[in-house]
Amino acid sequence: MKPSAPLSPTVLSTTRGAFAFAWRSLVRQPARATLGILGVAAVGALLFDMLLLSEGLVISMRDLLDRMGFEIRVTATDQLPGQGQDILDGADAASSIATLPSVRSVITMRTEDATIERPDGSELRTSLLGVGGGSRRPWTVIRGREVADTGLEVVVNDCTATRLKLEPDATITLRATCARGAEAPPPVSFRVAGIAEFPFDTPGSSETGTTAAALAAACGADVDRSADFLVVTSTGDPDKAAAEIAALRPDLRPFTNEQALSQMERGGFTYFRQISTVLTTVTLSFALLLISVLLTVSVNQRLGEVAALRALGFSRRRVVLDVLSESALIVGIGGMLSLPLGALLAVWLDQILKGMPGIPTSLHFFVFQPQALWMHGALLAATAILAALYPMRIVARLPIAATLRNEVTG
Amino acid sequence: MRGNDAPETIVEAKDLTRSFAMPAGPVFAVRDVTLSIRAGEHTAITGPSGCGKSTLLHLLGCVDAPSSGTLMFEGKEASTLSDRERSLLRLRHIGFVFQRFFLLPMLTAAENVELPQAEAGVPRDERRRRSLELLDYVGLASRADHRPSQLSGGEMQRVAIARALSNRPRLLLADEPTGELDQATGEHVAALLDRVNADGTAMVIVTHDPALAVRARRVLTMRDGRITEDVSR
Repeated sequence: MKPSAPLSPTVLSTTRGAFAFAWRSLVRQPARATLGILGVAAVGALLFDMLLLSEGLVISMRDLLDRMGFEIRVTATDQLPGQGQDILDGADAASSIATLPSVRSVITMRTEDATIERPDGSELRTSLLGVGGGSRRPWTVIRGREVADTGLEVVVNDCTATRLKLEPDATITLRATCARGAEAPPPVSFRVAGIAEFPFDTPGSSETGTTAAALAAACGADVDRSADFLVVTSTGDPDKAAAEIAALRPDLRPFTNEQALSQMERGGFTYFRQISTVLTTVTLSFALLLISVLLTVSVNQRLGEVAALRALGFSRRRVVLDVLSESALIVGIGGMLSLPLGALLAVWLDQILKGMPGIPTSLHFFVFQPQALWMHGALLAATAILAALYPMRIVARLPIAATLRNEVTG
Repeated sequence: MRGNDAPETIVEAKDLTRSFAMPAGPVFAVRDVTLSIRAGEHTAITGPSGCGKSTLLHLLGCVDAPSSGTLMFEGKEASTLSDRERSLLRLRHIGFVFQRFFLLPMLTAAENVELPQAEAGVPRDERRRRSLELLDYVGLASRADHRPSQLSGGEMQRVAIARALSNRPRLLLADEPTGELDQATGEHVAALLDRVNADGTAMVIVTHDPALAVRARRVLTMRDGRITEDVSR
């Protein structure tokens, strides 16, 4: 065989095999590769969680509001339901709003504190929600039946049922503490119609639901026409319905679900986004430094080899691509590992945050959404590129002859 | 070869100078060197340490650029080529053998030999076949799947020679190819290089080793960056 026989014509492909080459480089130094991959997995998991957290509360709240089936909440002030003044003519306002063409149904909502007297004489504090007008209820009966429109009946949440060992058709004695009505209303007996899930149920809290008339009775009043707020279902266009309500009752403030969410985002929810942004930046910076340091050390250990490859005809682009591929592999593998790790971490952190008082059971801080996955991938890809910039610069600007000379004399 | 004339010139250097800026003033590693390397020629460059042998080799191999003077490679002015063009020139036409081998430790002997072919876009099957042929040529067919750490110094240098021949270069440049080998092993490597040259590849070897230099048909002696002697046999 003649080694100098002519080379058969081939298509040049300087990038071919860069990933395979980078993979071999990683395998060559398993400790370094493992350190890098685990570091990216840990940082990627945190990044994933921060992305889930940044929108999680909003998405969860939107889901909660949508699941209730009401599209508009009407309050007496610019504050969200439960935070402002009552609508004193709630029942009348509901009746007039119900006549609007874009409105399908309206119900009044009023909540009072109450205690349920136990047979042993002890008391269980509960939140008594009275709903007036319409046929739709904000709770979902899971056992038994719905409260009758007339009569003294309640539905209780599972926590109440469990703590008081209640089943449908049981009787409870309820003493309300009302903002209006009799100062110290007498205890009233209610029949438990069913066990229900309340949308804003919080862990360990007692919730009780009844009709507005029954709530008034519990408060010692014949009729109570006031409401904390109204909830409205539109005929299909919530914005139009909200506009009609605002025109009919300029003294009231209708919020569509989106408007309510926007208001929440401007309020407390924004802190989570800010925390998420700060932590995302910090975690990405750590990933950037980690990968950059690992790659730089690795490249500096291989300068002689890189110079030799360059002398053998490897293009600058190719050796740069090798470094980039190595960075992409570390980040890619670490990023893939970070997803299940992040999901487990999110479940754990969600449980911790939901342990805060007053957080509804159905509300979640970490909610998966596909765009978080894409954003996670995009941010890690950008990190891989940025982290590789400095080591890429080293190999791109490597003086071949000087490096080869130094490798021998050094 | 061009017709019946003298062998074709592969490299032609004229007034080649390479200086390095130092705080105390420029240091001239190569100074006003004019020489030609023809196809099939076997040249050795000798001289004391620091006389500029390796620097001249790097200039001839287009891995370094002269401070002044011209270097024509197969009729093309090397200094006018872009980095990419010079990489391609080295990939296709020049083979390098280094004192420290610079085999990639994570690749087998065959994969190391395949590397320049892979860079040149040679299809996988073809480059595998060629690599095995080259390893057979250097007497290491049975070591194709061994990694450098499993090879002796002489074997590693033979793999490095096979790698340098991978893309059928017209010019092989070797910088102290026996510098890290014992005498017997160095002798084997020198014999292999003789064979490569005899099979048609022009060769320039930088060496301190008189036993290696004496094998060349042309010996250039350098001192203080200049060629002080150019002896052909």
